[in-house]
Amino acid sequence: MGLFTTSSTPTPPPPSHASPTPSPDGAFEAPDRQSRAHCWRARDDFFACLERNGIVDGIREKDRAEGACGSEGKGLDRECAASWVTYFKQRRVMEHNKKQTLEKLAKEGARPMPEGMALPGDRRKPTS
Amino acid sequence: MQVSTMSSLCPRAFHLSNSTVVDTARHTTSSVARCLREPGPWRPIPSPGNKQSFRLRSRPFSTAPRRAAIKTIQQAKARARSGPFSAWGAVAFLAAGVAITFYFRNEKARLERQRVAEAAKGVGRPKVGGKFALLDQEGKTFTDEDMKGGYSLVYFGFSHCPDICPEELDKMANMIDLVASTTQNRIGANSFVDPSSRKAPLLPLFITCDPARDTPAVLKHYLAEFHPGLVGLTGTWEQVKDVCKKYRVYFSTPEGVKPGMDYLVDHSIYFYLMDPEGDFVEAIGRQHSAERAAKIIVEHMKDWKGGVKR
Repeated sequence: MGLFTTSSTPTPPPPSHASPTPSPDGAFEAPDRQSRAHCWRARDDFFACLERNGIVDGIREKDRAEGACGSEGKGLDRECAASWVTYFKQRRVMEHNKKQTLEKLAKEGARPMPEGMALPGDRRKPTS
Repeated sequence: MQVSTMSSLCPRAFHLSNSTVVDTARHTTSSVARCLREPGPWRPIPSPGNKQSFRLRSRPFSTAPRRAAIKTIQQAKARARSGPFSAWGAVAFLAAGVAITFYFRNEKARLERQRVAEAAKGVGRPKVGGKFALLDQEGKTFTDEDMKGGYSLVYFGFSHCPDICPEELDKMANMIDLVASTTQNRIGANSFVDPSSRKAPLLPLFITCDPARDTPAVLKHYLAEFHPGLVGLTGTWEQVKDVCKKYRVYFSTPEGVKPGMDYLVDHSIYFYLMDPEGDFVEAIGRQHSAERAAKIIVEHMKDWKGGVKR
């Protein structure tokens, strides 16, 4: 805990996404459980900082995020692949909007649909 | 006229004579013949002509015995006190009510599952699943035929997936173990698994949507972290696109990407439960916990009566 939350981390371990291990058949290994855990922890630290500073969108409010959560942002970039970072930031905005919409609907007296109403052909976005 | 009234009358006469007559075909026909010739013993002396047919019509089609009349005052009083109800009657009524309620609840749930399971079968239904030929994580060919003989759970994803796939794969591993533990002592003895062809009651498949980066070796390394039973499938871009289309999975992977590139793939996040004939049964989504999903799967397995068709 707190390993990547401070900027004074002396020598960070080499991020797995920057130098991926080649697989025996010419491709590259995917991030394993451990590097995923590192990345998710960096993400959670970054988002906790955004939360403290009242920032929702880490992409649009890039300057504010860098000012307030610079070290956490760097930790995130170091631990996760760039596509993951973008995805996490977008997903945070989407979930924020979703939560607000649901709260608004709940205020208007809407009730959630019963479980299992979705059809197999449905597709959910954004997915990963 | 005569014949039609006779036919309704005869069973009674027949019945009476049956106790003395051996029931060979010959005797039976002879007793029927006798019945046609002579009136039943319960009837007084027949009178010819119109008078007889008139008498017959008084109880035209009834063979039931007359209701026993109340003979004594005591009987009449007892009947009047209790009415048509009795303690045994009440117990029987309640027991029947409880039994019927239970039966219909179970039956309702079963029919609902059957409806879900059969929605994908037959003509004019949207078909989910179909023929494919891909490579498993050992590099061996794996086709839809290898799925048959037992239930399969199919998931689409990719190894470079940020968060949802790993979470869902952990859930899938949980589901596999839960299904295996609930069905363990049933394997071999029941109809939903063909013990000769399959070891596990549920075959878990992971089909990649990202064939450029997910080679057999990458999948092998990746899936080993989740569950040893998982079969990872990959192929060419065309093959994967085709199988995604057959499973109605949204497929957005660009063609011609290089293994080292950093990109994400958009795809559907349902588990597809497929029956031993390779037909789609039900989709299990993010909202289901591993426990709930395992329960759904086991219930469908218990419903399976089709046997194994090859």
